[in-house]
Amino acid sequence: MQFVNKNYFQLFSIAEKFHIDLDVLTSKYHELQIEIHPDKFVNSTEQEKLKAVHNTSSLNEAYGTLKSPLNRAGYLLKLHDMDVEQVNQDDLGMDLLMEQIQLRESLEQISNDESALSQLDDLKSRVRDKVSQCELTFGINLEGKDYSGAKGLFHEMQFLYKLLSEIDMIEERQLGY
Amino acid sequence: MALLNISEPGGKPTQPIRKRAVGIDLGTTNSLVAASCSGSVECLPDDQGEYLLPSVVHYRKGREPLVGSAAKARMVASPEDTIASVKRLLGKSLSEIKSQSLSQFIPYSFNEDKDDQSPAIHTVDGDKDPVVISSDILKILVQRAEECLQGDLDGAVITVPAYFNDAQRQQTRNAAQLAGLNVLRLLNEPTAAAVAYGLDSRDQGNVIVFDLGGGTFDVSLLSLQKGIFEVLATAGDSNLGGDDFDHILIDWMRNSTDSKKNYDASSYAALLQQANQVKHQLSEESAVEVEHQGKSLQIDKILFAELCEPLLKRTRLTCKRVLRDAGKKVEDIDNIVLVGGATRMLIIRESVVKFFGREPLTDIDPDKVVAMGAGIQADILIGNKSIDNFLLLDVNPLSLGIETMGELVEKIIPRNTTIPVSKAQEFTTFKDGQTVMAIHVLQGERELVSDCRSLARFELRGIPPMVAGAAKIEVSFQVDADGLLSVAAKELSTGKSAEITVKPSFGLNADAIGEMLSSSQMNAKSDMKARVLKEAQLEARQLIDATNSAISIAGTLLKEAEKNAITAIVEALEMAITHVDQAKIHALTEQLNRSSSDFAARRMDLDIKEALRGKSIEKLENS
Repeated sequence: MQFVNKNYFQLFSIAEKFHIDLDVLTSKYHELQIEIHPDKFVNSTEQEKLKAVHNTSSLNEAYGTLKSPLNRAGYLLKLHDMDVEQVNQDDLGMDLLMEQIQLRESLEQISNDESALSQLDDLKSRVRDKVSQCELTFGINLEGKDYSGAKGLFHEMQFLYKLLSEIDMIEERQLGY
Repeated sequence: MALLNISEPGGKPTQPIRKRAVGIDLGTTNSLVAASCSGSVECLPDDQGEYLLPSVVHYRKGREPLVGSAAKARMVASPEDTIASVKRLLGKSLSEIKSQSLSQFIPYSFNEDKDDQSPAIHTVDGDKDPVVISSDILKILVQRAEECLQGDLDGAVITVPAYFNDAQRQQTRNAAQLAGLNVLRLLNEPTAAAVAYGLDSRDQGNVIVFDLGGGTFDVSLLSLQKGIFEVLATAGDSNLGGDDFDHILIDWMRNSTDSKKNYDASSYAALLQQANQVKHQLSEESAVEVEHQGKSLQIDKILFAELCEPLLKRTRLTCKRVLRDAGKKVEDIDNIVLVGGATRMLIIRESVVKFFGREPLTDIDPDKVVAMGAGIQADILIGNKSIDNFLLLDVNPLSLGIETMGELVEKIIPRNTTIPVSKAQEFTTFKDGQTVMAIHVLQGERELVSDCRSLARFELRGIPPMVAGAAKIEVSFQVDADGLLSVAAKELSTGKSAEITVKPSFGLNADAIGEMLSSSQMNAKSDMKARVLKEAQLEARQLIDATNSAISIAGTLLKEAEKNAITAIVEALEMAITHVDQAKIHALTEQLNRSSSDFAARRMDLDIKEALRGKSIEKLENS
């Protein structure tokens, strides 16, 4: 099986769209794993073993990309030749920047006491609502071939996911992990 | 146990040649071996009928060490030469061992002159490092299995705590290789336990494996879907185990009697045995009487649970963390599997039931379940058993990253990523004209370098001088199916690229790694090269041993000059091994092979001559 340069959607035989059925993705992933996993090559030559490790690593990378909505969005934009590494001022409107600043302020204002966890929870669900909104519109933009619109939403999602992971880290610290 | 039964569907098909594969649970307190000697995988007993081999090794001057109960019996009499719980020392530096909370109870004296990275314990039989001690335990299990399987083993699956870091995994693998084993896979203990259960109760579902061993604690959450065992998250506490509950009891005994007495190693060992006994009794009796310092003390389950609450709290925290990492809630859990002898403690069971709101599965002996799972997996991997759609997908337990400016850690592979995995990230130079970049590989969740575990350091040299930020250095990480890491760094901006691979490994201290790298610089090296090196070292070592013993037995067959020539090669080869010079190791092994083959031929000649002496030609032709 050759993974190099293969489109991830084709690899898993699913339609190249933003909204995908995660259960179908996972069961396809399992089917492929059963064929190529290093456990199936324990009695093979060193070369074949090495190849199995590389193939499975690529498969895991592909699965991880499509499983995460943010990575999937970035990958779809790349497939449409959008440079997601490059953020233009136009991609991020003033409103978006103001909103991000406000969200960040709310995070900083969370007091360090017993109510911290529930405050973090509230903020988290606010951010998650925004994420769902973005994802919905991203899907529509992509279908309508509005790639620059989709790119703006992708960058907004990047902000929001970054914020979510920061909330997670603060939460973990609060929980004593 | 559905999986155990799947193997032989109906009747007796023509038996292909079965290979001899075993599963080994190398535990902190006890070790076990499981294999399929009579059709289904079972734990193998010793000739006394005991399944558990206490993980204790007693060293004797110039003699084979005692392992197991015989060694355990000598713990009180000669604690310095009797090594217990060596698993706690695996993969740790001497300074780490000394800073461990339990270090005050470790009676061993360490060789202080050796490098910090390779601690060795002084014994009457010389210095012993944790890898050697572990391999001495493994050898006994191998013997046990070889008797039952009637022949040399073809392969083994060795279990490790899911939470073991890279150094601990490497050393486990090295110990197995030192014991002569072909390691098919390092398997995480909780995953092994899930395999043993086969979890026939449902084809789909989420399973929590709660594994409290003698010295380590792991919790894993697996999702089962049509034969695929996928680990969603794993978390643990590598410094929490059943032993800690013994120490709680000791503290209680000492505090209750106001005893300020300082214990020597052997009276402490006796106290530990007493505490251990009380702990076991508390799982069967409601209250236990304890004699200490002439006083009679009483402890019941409630008091014991109270004393142990800090430890119980740590176990619950780990459960919460694993649920969180997997994105699951307590209600999503369909089954709980208990692993490890320490889960027999009633206070643990009650704490688990309370947390998850359901009774755990306990059909399989919690002491045997890991070895059984490993044995089943070994049988499958070696090809004795083919099960459609059976696969284990495991994760890396700890995040891996490298040090960046400001002593911060940049994560390259986050924890709970399905393995095997490879990830690359680009970095750049900080100063104009910078030609060297130091790469420091770390494992852990924290942001600061000082809070993570250092796995390896190496330097990438020969970067073409450019303005700061212009060079592109790609650092790539590869974690294989055993959970072992290799790291490569490459300069991308020009056609000229340097690539180096580091495999943090036992016995390779920082200097040795530096030397290995400087000699291999500018050579593209694959991940497997490091493994090849280790194999070359092993082969060379075996050849040296064989040659030395041949010389001592039949040295008289050699002329003085020939003997000197062979000895010179042996010495040069030893040097090459110490200096980790792969090219030299290969060349000299080859050379020693050639020089000694002549010697071997002459020895064979002599043996034949001896055998033929007195026999006539006619007799030979007839025979």
